[in-house]
Amino acid sequence: MAILSRDVYKEFEDVVGPENITDDPALMPSYFNTEHAAIVLPGSTKEVQALVKLCNKHKLRFRAICTGWTGMFPRGIVLFDLRRMNRIIEINEKNMYAVVEPYVISAELQAECMKRGLNFCIKGAGSNCTALLRGHGHMDQTTSGDDRNHLAIEWVTPEGEIVRTGSLGSSDEWFCGDGPGPSLRAILTSAVPPGVTPGVFTKAAIKLYHWPGPTKFPVVGHSPRYTLSHIPPNMMARYYSFPSVEKMWQAEIRIGEAEIAYELMGFNAAMVAANITTCNEEDEAMFKRLSREVQGPGFFIIIAGNSADDFAYKKKVLENIVAEAGGKSLKTVEDPEIEGILLCQCIRISASIRETFRPGGAFNSIPIMGQRDLTIKWAIGAGEAKKPLIEKGLIVDDGGAFFGWGVEHGHLGKTEIFCKYDPSNTEAKKAVEQWQKEQTARAFKERYFALTMGDQTEIGPALSNYHIWWQKTVKAIDPNSVTTESGPLV
Amino acid sequence: MIAKERLVKIVGKHVSDDPAVLEEYSRDISFVHPIKPTYVVYPASMAEVKEIVKLANETQTPLVPVSSGPPHFRGDTVPGTGGAIIVNMSRMKKIINVDRPRRVAMVEPGVTFGELVAAATREGIRLNMPLLPRKTKTVVGSLLEREPVVMPKYQWDISDPVACLEVVFGNGEDFRTGQAAGPGTVEEQWAVGGVQKAPYGPGTASWHRLIQGSQGTIGIVTWASMRCELLPSLEEPFFVGGSELAPILDLTAWLIRLRMVNECFILNNVALAAICAQKWPKDYASLKQSLPPWVLFYNVAGYEYFPEERVKSYIKDITAINQRLGLDAVQALSTVSAIDFLRMVQKPCDDPYWKLRYKGAFEDVLFLTINDKIESQIAAMQEVATRAGYPTTDMGIYIQPIVQGTGLHCEFNLFYDPDDPVEKNCVKALADAAVKELLARGAFFSRPYGDNAALILNRDAATVNMLKRLKNIFDPKYIMNPGKVCF
Repeated sequence: MAILSRDVYKEFEDVVGPENITDDPALMPSYFNTEHAAIVLPGSTKEVQALVKLCNKHKLRFRAICTGWTGMFPRGIVLFDLRRMNRIIEINEKNMYAVVEPYVISAELQAECMKRGLNFCIKGAGSNCTALLRGHGHMDQTTSGDDRNHLAIEWVTPEGEIVRTGSLGSSDEWFCGDGPGPSLRAILTSAVPPGVTPGVFTKAAIKLYHWPGPTKFPVVGHSPRYTLSHIPPNMMARYYSFPSVEKMWQAEIRIGEAEIAYELMGFNAAMVAANITTCNEEDEAMFKRLSREVQGPGFFIIIAGNSADDFAYKKKVLENIVAEAGGKSLKTVEDPEIEGILLCQCIRISASIRETFRPGGAFNSIPIMGQRDLTIKWAIGAGEAKKPLIEKGLIVDDGGAFFGWGVEHGHLGKTEIFCKYDPSNTEAKKAVEQWQKEQTARAFKERYFALTMGDQTEIGPALSNYHIWWQKTVKAIDPNSVTTESGPLV
Repeated sequence: MIAKERLVKIVGKHVSDDPAVLEEYSRDISFVHPIKPTYVVYPASMAEVKEIVKLANETQTPLVPVSSGPPHFRGDTVPGTGGAIIVNMSRMKKIINVDRPRRVAMVEPGVTFGELVAAATREGIRLNMPLLPRKTKTVVGSLLEREPVVMPKYQWDISDPVACLEVVFGNGEDFRTGQAAGPGTVEEQWAVGGVQKAPYGPGTASWHRLIQGSQGTIGIVTWASMRCELLPSLEEPFFVGGSELAPILDLTAWLIRLRMVNECFILNNVALAAICAQKWPKDYASLKQSLPPWVLFYNVAGYEYFPEERVKSYIKDITAINQRLGLDAVQALSTVSAIDFLRMVQKPCDDPYWKLRYKGAFEDVLFLTINDKIESQIAAMQEVATRAGYPTTDMGIYIQPIVQGTGLHCEFNLFYDPDDPVEKNCVKALADAAVKELLARGAFFSRPYGDNAALILNRDAATVNMLKRLKNIFDPKYIMNPGKVCF
């Protein structure tokens, strides 16, 4: 039975047209298996604004989605699907930013940027996710990550006002998101619960970075086995393994300080194997092969020079740093075909997809942003705690490894550890959830970090009571409580 | 009005109602209307700051936080209303931590650039500093003002180099931003190997952004940590002079895009001469005359590994760009050597502060902009100055690329004699007219100071509305520096 009366439905329909609204139950399963009041597809900021105002008028809760991976949606909300808002508004080459609507995916924007010798942060969620997404990706070493790439943002508030932050509000330019005075970027943060900013981001400017590679990769082959016909000039991809985590970290920090890496990913052998193979059978065989080749933990690195001299310099420094730390290059990756696959995977596609879902079908992860050396220290223990699960055959054997990378030439970092498992195996699922719970509790107790997705009554007081400040902020932004974005936090 | 004894109970003898002291805080070099505070208090700890804020809430007393010593220039430390207490943070001057491996430092608000530069240098790291801060300028004061920094390559985000902050909000509650928030105390975090470096969080908000740019209207910061950069092992600085700004802007954009230079900014001949002249006024006049109208300064640096090879490779690539643009890089211009200039801008300014040397006072008109607009904005400013009767040949201009090349900070320095009422009035009228004209031409006044703040903020009512909602949360009684920004 329809949730909205025909009269109310008609009001929404008047905004977007009959072809861009539905409450057909047959379509609901494709939208997160929830019974929504209606699904509407706005095509512009003005339409989003009008829809939000209608939600306020009728006291209906709403939530916007764009390329979303997943989500939890209460029954009866109006769901805004932003897929029609898919325009690249501007690529400003000289001032190095792009302005996009929410449904511009990273792959599209990157293709346009590369034609202009530019690039940006492709998030680990994948190149088919929105370019607007806040997050980390494989090129963080040179393209930064987290919330640090947004400039001005156009935001339809839960009351239907349009706020244009920074230079956009005052001077109609997108280059700056902060001011006048205190910065609203403080609260315009995320699309991933908990702690999501209520309202709808309808456009945003994001920082671009120089791209020293080709305007288009020389891709050859057929799906799913693509590689490059040749390695582009002044580029190189390698994997180095080290005798110990300490040695690996020593090399990683020196590479950061020397500012030579285009990309540095602290992959383990299992993740390299996942990215250079096309199915689980190949993956398993490759992991065994690589496990014999590596001497210990390691990282994948891409060097890219702005000129032949620059490339030669960076390569020389890299070789020195690796030698000092006792690193060893993985011969498999030196093979130009494999090197080409990895360049594509890590720059154009986002290597995370093959690493995460394919081997087991599901994964549970503990991701930590911030101080790399501190989180590595914790992750060593979390990796050890995986081993009994591997021995019991409950999770995919990755050697108990974790991974991560430096951000902004090692100033910041990300470390992550996950267990890949078969989601239909209830024993495995339970064991993984227990591992996750114990390891996050250890991180909290031993003062390494606190994940904010857990019980707020425990976590919030340990983190300056941020949850109370956030609750007050949400209440001030959304006085009519028409949004659902705040998630379990509020 | 609060009885003095109540403040003495909190800070002991460190409270003043000496008329001379109050007079000093009642005005600054800006054109902001003078208002005398009732006390100046000097807390020595976060606990004391909390007590002061609590008392202010009880008594509805305005608080004006100040960390830097005089002279002040922008009106943000002059009370916006009567009955205010100046909270002078200069007693809190501990350098809490300087960590070379993690490239981070942590200081209390009274620490000046001179003090931190020395401590950081000893450890092999340095700050990304603003251009020649005055000797009394504190590091925290500069960070909170979002002052532009001279190494745009290392400014990934406009909030850089701020890492984490400890703050007492206007309602009296304390808070730590970013990684510092927890779990555990700062000391417990150190014990496990943590530092206060990651700026975002806790949660998905980036709370430090709300405190920066607020001119003390949200809370009082009791320490700040900041990212630092390595000290280079080899540096080769250059000047590129020219009569046209366009090719110099082009070169600057490429140098930053390719991340080949550390310090990098543009000055006109007036500003460069005002900084470098040794003997006044003779040297200044001749130096100004001998310099080209526009000068780009940049520094090519090498670090631990093969610094000579890195510098050589960058210089070769930069030379190719210069040739394409018809520009020449030199190691000295007139009597100014690039290496001496580099050493100068890597420290705070010697006394007297460079903007005071020419005539004893100045008013800055400062805003953010982009490459596409800056030349027309400079032309507009020159027209406004001419109309106001201010000689454009006396106007300093400083252009600082920001955030790895996504924008430019542009600053016009209007020097004047504070004892000459005609000149003073001319500059005041010019500054007001300039803000109006530049706003119309797309200038973004991200740091709205003084009397023009309302004019600037009125252009963006939606942002102001949202900022006021946030202000109501963190400082519900509006005790923090009332009358500033839009509060």
